[in-house]
Amino acid sequence: MNDKQLQDFVSYLIEKNYKVYSHKNVDNNVFIDEVKTGKNFKLCPQKPLHSFKSFFLAPCKKMMQFKGKEILLLRDPDVKSVLLGLHFYDMKALTLHAQVFKKDPYFQKKLRNMIIIGQSPIPEEDRSYEKFEKEILEHLKFDIFLEAKSTNDQKEFRIFTGSEDGQRLLDGFGYKDYENVEYEGPVPKKGLDQLHQALIEKVRKSRGSAIWKELGKKCIACGKCTIVCPTCFCFKFKDEIEKDKITRSREWDSCFYEDFSEIAGGHKFLDSTEDRIYNYYDHKFVRIPNEYRMVGCVSCGRCTEVCPAGISLPENIKRIMEEIK
Amino acid sequence: MKNPYYPYDAEIIKVEELTPINRLFTFQIKDKAFKSKFKFRHGQFFILSVPGFGEAPFGFCSSPTIKDSFQASIDKRGGLTNKLFELKKGMAVGIRGPYGNGFDDVKIKTRNLVLVAGGCGLSPLRTVIQDASMNPGNFKKIQIFYGCRNPELLSFQKDYKAWSKNIEVNLTVDAPDNKWKDNVGVVTNLLTQEKIKSDSVAILVGPPIMYKFVVKKLLELGLKEEDIYVSLERRMHCGIGVCQHCALINGGYVCTDGPLFSYAEIKNVPEGI
Repeated sequence: MNDKQLQDFVSYLIEKNYKVYSHKNVDNNVFIDEVKTGKNFKLCPQKPLHSFKSFFLAPCKKMMQFKGKEILLLRDPDVKSVLLGLHFYDMKALTLHAQVFKKDPYFQKKLRNMIIIGQSPIPEEDRSYEKFEKEILEHLKFDIFLEAKSTNDQKEFRIFTGSEDGQRLLDGFGYKDYENVEYEGPVPKKGLDQLHQALIEKVRKSRGSAIWKELGKKCIACGKCTIVCPTCFCFKFKDEIEKDKITRSREWDSCFYEDFSEIAGGHKFLDSTEDRIYNYYDHKFVRIPNEYRMVGCVSCGRCTEVCPAGISLPENIKRIMEEIK
Repeated sequence: MKNPYYPYDAEIIKVEELTPINRLFTFQIKDKAFKSKFKFRHGQFFILSVPGFGEAPFGFCSSPTIKDSFQASIDKRGGLTNKLFELKKGMAVGIRGPYGNGFDDVKIKTRNLVLVAGGCGLSPLRTVIQDASMNPGNFKKIQIFYGCRNPELLSFQKDYKAWSKNIEVNLTVDAPDNKWKDNVGVVTNLLTQEKIKSDSVAILVGPPIMYKFVVKKLLELGLKEEDIYVSLERRMHCGIGVCQHCALINGGYVCTDGPLFSYAEIKNVPEGI
């Protein structure tokens, strides 16, 4: 598919009453916005600062309302949307969330009504198509995937489909030159590679080490990393009393916030910044791999970009790999 | 798709004051379909919802053999419980659950039980105590070791006499008043070679500091690590192992894998006990 055909395809989706969202770069601010027309549409190769996370997990999701003795479950309207241009690390995050929230009616409804169109150049280390398809695409949730030759060359795309919805849309548009990729579940059969297995063990062992003591002093526990992280999904419930009704919402929470682990009486199980930053890594590199057999970090780099204290996740991982025996 | 956060309609059918800060609430589920499915085991908990004031987890404290209603003895300790103490008989609350692993039913019915409680920790153990009082033939020997700050704070005081028919009740307080004639000091002091059989199963519910000393003492008395259970308290929101508030470092959720953990399971978990 060439860039002109992609524009026509976007117009086709809008005609079919899909709300299309994609990210764009305005003065080096990359953010997600609604695409109103396919005319002049160009895929943005840079990643948006905020991932597509909030399309599935709203920062504040109103779940139910209490009116007297009645409980009204609040349902999202059936709006069909297209998320266009997810990078493969954001697709990975979505694939993880689809597992974490498999029994969550709010998340699942969003997922049902969403067409996911991914984009990516093949990562440097996976130059062979077969390997890319087998080891990455088969384990990602998507409907259509646009594979560009490189980030600088967005004129020609190889097209994959990952669902019947994706095939149906392309057929309807009149584009046949696609290959279907069968979803093989979120985890490759061989499980995590040796490098990640070693990392899990080392993060587990590293608790109490100098690395975390230093980070505990450096980190200001602002929680920005948890907000931009495409995989962070901690939440809390909150009730709000209005005039004639009470609304119970599910809000994003951050494990860096003081009250995250506080119980009645005031005891906090994550009592210091050192405890909290270790817990953040423990969740991504020990608990998520143990629970879902995939790593909880998708290597997007957002946490490092936004950290006001200059903490770098890749540097910390490098230190853990080198210093923990 | 079923909504896992839906609080089912229930009514407070009785409120009794057990201590100046603790009340025994009896709840009856009104939603017929939910009520017919609602079966809990010893050691499990439920999530109580008071719209406008949120939700919190509480352990059941009545015998699971009582089907029509269930009880929880609750301390007044914060936003939701402050509100709960204003609610009266006949008022509505929301219930979801039951949650948690609960006690191994075969184990607690085929072994001698040592129940060690501190403060409001007697509450979740009362499911077993009440069941054993009503159905003594279903249990082996049960010993209670219960410690509190002062006599005023001892929960279920008027039941001790009835329990004593089948169960050994040992009490201790830190600060006795003029009328107190029983033990004084920490609960650990009551656990002696003469009292405790080494092949017993122990269940501990109380503050973390109590666990540290009691576990050490029980191990000294020859109890096996896998026969000493502690109940962990954590902040909870979802109750189904997603929200991360009750996650244990290195793995496991108190809401789904707990709240009961054997010492063998928990001893290497950082900040576990």
